Amino acid sequence: MSRFYYYLILINMIANIISAVPTILLYYREDGAVSALIVGAMLGLVIVVIYTKFFNAFPGMTFPELLVKTMPKWFYYPLLCFMAIMWFVAGASTLITYTFLLIRYLTPDIPIILLGLTLIVSIIFGCFMKTDRVLYTIEIIFLINFPIIIFIIIKAYTSKSLNWDFIKAAMLHVVEMPNMNVITACIFLSLGVVNLVIFNRFFTQKQNFGLKQIMVVAFISIATIFTTYFIPIGFHGLKSIEEMIYPWVATSDSMRMKFFLIERLVYVFLLLYLSMAFLSILIHWHVAVELFKFVFRLEKIKYKDIPIGYLIIILFFTAASLFLIVTLTEYQLFQYSKYFFNLTAVNFFGMIFLLFYIARRMKGAKDSKN
Amino acid sequence: MSSKEILLWIMNQFNDTVELIYKPLELDNKKITVLYIKSLIDQELFQKYILQPFFEIDSEEKLQVYLMALPQFQEVPSKEEGLLYVMEGNVLVEIQENLYAIDFKLSKNSDVNSTSVETTIHGSELALSDNLMTNINIIRSFYHEPTLTIEYFLKGEVNKPKIAVIYDQERVKTTALNMIKEKLEEIDKQVITESPQFSNFLNHKRFSLFPQMLLTERPDRIVYNLAGGKIVLLVDGSPQCMMAPAVFFDFMTTTEDNYHTFVISYYLKLLRYLGIFVCILLPGIYIGAASFSPEVFRTEFMLTIAGSRMGVPFTSFVEVLFMLFFMELLLEASIRLPKAISATAATVGGLILGTAVTEAALASNIMVIIVSAVAISTFVIPVNEMAFAIRIVRLLLIVIASIFGLAGLTLGFLCIIMYLVNQTSYGEPFLRMYNYRKGDKKSEGQA
Repeated sequence: MSRFYYYLILINMIANIISAVPTILLYYREDGAVSALIVGAMLGLVIVVIYTKFFNAFPGMTFPELLVKTMPKWFYYPLLCFMAIMWFVAGASTLITYTFLLIRYLTPDIPIILLGLTLIVSIIFGCFMKTDRVLYTIEIIFLINFPIIIFIIIKAYTSKSLNWDFIKAAMLHVVEMPNMNVITACIFLSLGVVNLVIFNRFFTQKQNFGLKQIMVVAFISIATIFTTYFIPIGFHGLKSIEEMIYPWVATSDSMRMKFFLIERLVYVFLLLYLSMAFLSILIHWHVAVELFKFVFRLEKIKYKDIPIGYLIIILFFTAASLFLIVTLTEYQLFQYSKYFFNLTAVNFFGMIFLLFYIARRMKGAKDSKN
Repeated sequence: MSSKEILLWIMNQFNDTVELIYKPLELDNKKITVLYIKSLIDQELFQKYILQPFFEIDSEEKLQVYLMALPQFQEVPSKEEGLLYVMEGNVLVEIQENLYAIDFKLSKNSDVNSTSVETTIHGSELALSDNLMTNINIIRSFYHEPTLTIEYFLKGEVNKPKIAVIYDQERVKTTALNMIKEKLEEIDKQVITESPQFSNFLNHKRFSLFPQMLLTERPDRIVYNLAGGKIVLLVDGSPQCMMAPAVFFDFMTTTEDNYHTFVISYYLKLLRYLGIFVCILLPGIYIGAASFSPEVFRTEFMLTIAGSRMGVPFTSFVEVLFMLFFMELLLEASIRLPKAISATAATVGGLILGTAVTEAALASNIMVIIVSAVAISTFVIPVNEMAFAIRIVRLLLIVIASIFGLAGLTLGFLCIIMYLVNQTSYGEPFLRMYNYRKGDKKSEGQA
């Protein structure tokens, strides 16, 4: 598999450590979170395998192109529109979470609108780049940040404050019935693969996706889920974790670099996650923009050679996310994220049937041609 | 048009230039006419290879065969070509109603220069010369491949310098070659003097920050890049050449990287990349830490900075801009000044200004250290064009950092990377990680 494929999956997983995912996981720690983690990881893997196999069968073709060939118009326009909005919301939720984080921890004196606007403006133009350029950007920024990620992980696992007894105690809850919200949040971690609906354009050659590749993805996802859930518990214990809105920021603040220029790891963590959030939003919004482009034929809307269609999208994205940033509170964000994760999980499971149908139609089309 | 008429037509074009010499020679049964510009040709050669044989060879036929056998011999297909030949330093010879051009160009600028911009410790110290033919001779004698192709163009309506496009036919990136040829056709400039001008002429963008072509004066670099499939543009009279397509990493390598041992060359590369990070980010980090989030760094360190800033009446970004402004002025001034005075400028600027500014409490000591660190790390970037672009990037990041602090600095840095990735240099993405493993093409596609 191309390395770019793994970036798509990895970025989604890593970036969601700062989103509402760990909060949801930890919220249900005594109501069946641990068993749900196992179920969620497995279901996530199923989604990854099915979506990858499907898109691998049609190298270089995006999902809209496949739909055009196999489905009636009345069916795919609403579907794509719905998917585009979903991706916009996925990006926006990361954006909002990160804006709240910045206001709370790094730059409390900057007005929230200005901060949100900076984030949006710096990302939105990148979403209109070509797909390959988006992937190259991801690669370079990821490679610059990769040493820091490794450092933080090593630091976390070797820290003296990490109490493995807490983790063992938390694991005892495995016998409870799996919690639905946790399962869907867990599945959301693996949904980076769904970005292939547009990014498949880049993979013009057929890739081999066998057991080895599946093992790699499984390892990544299990390691991420384990780290996301158990490390905060190991630092804070099962009881006091419920007082935290951002468990991972608090966790990284529990680590200290005794002899380095920067003493509190939390600032390294925050700046690192600024890059990760940037990439995550870039990926999600790129897909959203491409889908919107396809649905509304934006490149054709022009006024005196100015591509108004693009301007409309930029304005819409900016205005909608700014509105959400200003109106939402942290508690609401948490609640809505929960609903959103449920929705995405159900939707992408439902879409598996659609994929099978499309694959059959495409096969039929190919056979009739020969 | 007979050859006589062509000669007359060419003479008419020049009106009454004293330097244009028209000489009919007649002896026994031999008759030739020569036409040349006195100041352009090598008169000794002319004397030795045309005048002497004229008196020694007894028949006109033999003389004609002799002329055709000369290595400098060229046919004259049309009157316009003839005019060009005369202006390039050929002697036009009319014999038996035929018109020939013999190249006796006298060039006083064909000496090979020594490197002045890209100096290295290892490797050759010789650079290109000002003469196109000498340069092509240098390249050809370093690059022994029959596929090496040289195409000539005449561009620039007024001064019409000879432009050579050099590439290896087998290795060249064809899309880039076609693009460059297409754009060369479109050039409608009046005067072209130096090859660096082409980076702007061949670029349709009005605003561009990063260079899209690589400028060099080193023959070994040219050869290395020719083998890598790049296209080289040379202009007669210019000791530098342009190479395209160029990607970001080309600007971060020196030819010396290949001459060192593995570990040393990687160490130097690492140093260079750290240098570019320091140079772009350090002023921004200072602003972000001093004015926005002092809690990021360890307490003792921030206390030192705050102590050093005691008495400084400005906010940190005014301080940074103030000091950087003078540093940039100093840089710019020391380029323009004659060598004898530039040493004084460095002393006045660096030593006196630096100490006086801190004593007058207009900037902190740490600020002076940062500015000098930044200045030094700018010089680490091996190709000058990139160093200039980086200076501007740094300025942008300072502005962003002074509005949004460290978060803004990070975002700005990410945006710069995104901008770089989005740039295209003649069909090649400007910045991307390359996969050097052989046969791994399968894993990547193009969108």
